[in-house]
Amino acid sequence: MNFIKVVILVFMKDIKDELRRKENILSSLFFALLSLVLFHFSVDMTSIDLSKEGAGLMWLIIIFAGTIFIQNIFRKEEENGVFLALLLAPVDRAAIYLAKFLVCFVFLAILEVFLFVLSFFFFGAAVFDSPLQLTVVALAVNIGFSALGTLISSLLMNQKGSSILYPLLLYPLLFPLFAAAATLTQLSIKSSLAFSDPWLRLIILFDMIFLGTSSMLFESVVED
Amino acid sequence: MIMSIKKWAIIFSLLAILTNISALFMVFFYTPTELQMGEVQKIFYYHVPCAITSYLMLFVSFVFSIAFLVKKDEKYDIWAYAGAEVGLVFIICVLVSGPIWGKSAWGKWWVWEPRLTTFLIIFLIYFSYALIRIFGRQDAKTPKIASVLSIIGFLDVPFVNRAVYWWGSVVHPKSVSLEPQMKLTLFVALISVIILSLSLLFWRVFIDERFLDND
Repeated sequence: MNFIKVVILVFMKDIKDELRRKENILSSLFFALLSLVLFHFSVDMTSIDLSKEGAGLMWLIIIFAGTIFIQNIFRKEEENGVFLALLLAPVDRAAIYLAKFLVCFVFLAILEVFLFVLSFFFFGAAVFDSPLQLTVVALAVNIGFSALGTLISSLLMNQKGSSILYPLLLYPLLFPLFAAAATLTQLSIKSSLAFSDPWLRLIILFDMIFLGTSSMLFESVVED
Repeated sequence: MIMSIKKWAIIFSLLAILTNISALFMVFFYTPTELQMGEVQKIFYYHVPCAITSYLMLFVSFVFSIAFLVKKDEKYDIWAYAGAEVGLVFIICVLVSGPIWGKSAWGKWWVWEPRLTTFLIIFLIYFSYALIRIFGRQDAKTPKIASVLSIIGFLDVPFVNRAVYWWGSVVHPKSVSLEPQMKLTLFVALISVIILSLSLLFWRVFIDERFLDND
């Protein structure tokens, strides 16, 4: 079967499934809202400037809430041997990985829109001052986060203590992405983000290397 | 095979003892005392070699992890595990010696200085590698998970390095001008630490391979 067709089929299957179950999406979005409210009681969010330390806080929420969704991306396949059936199909395994990666990518985009709208609504955050630049930053971060998140999730499939291990394995690897995301968000809020910015180039290189490596490693991870 | 590894472990251990005695002698009796920092600067002769050696060991783990995923031979996994573990030991040495130096040079135990921060992040990455080995000791899937982590962890190191540099201020001097005696001592210390790391690597592999053969 055509590679792209497999990606689209698995992607559509997962999107339909996520929309039917809702538990994964809802719990992540609810966690984002909860974090935003909790942060407000630890630091006055109305005084938080997104062009300064506020950007880091926002990305912290995205990473934590995103983790809830991405670490469960293979959970439904663990049940009733569905993943084995998926592997038995004569299709390229990288296509399965890419489909899962795309589901995570789309979810992160939804999460970010949700969080940005909420932070604008509650705290008047200046998230819509330079929407194009912020979108570019968010999409670039989503690629790297989804690529590594999906790979680690597949690694820990059927693993004892996977929910504890998942953030422990993923977060140290995400450090360059997080630092770049916070800095680039600050710059984009100030409308001073140039597309030749070294941080943006770093993030794009990160995306390319980890998306490529992860899709190659996925085959080794799932075979047996 | 095991005997030849034991032989190499003994050879490197003897060499490590000899070269480290020489290096320590040179550090304390041959090199002049640095004018600004005084005696504490002598940590430099082991701090820098430990940093270089840790990268070398992580590279060993990276290469053997790829070999394990390609060939599926458990012996490669033993080398990959040993490389990461020895690398982690040297990263800890860097993180201990750095603050001792920092306290004297900058007046604080910890400064969010780029090179030290880079090592802190690398420590976190490889500590998570150690955790998965500890958690999944009895699990057949663990070597595979650890190999993937070692590969992506090593690929992440240059990104961590760049991100930390752009993020923080540079406190370490970009280039250090050293007296000829200092250069020679640093070179001898580097060789001695590399030999020490190789002896640890061979002993670690020897112990694991013995267990593998007993099984």
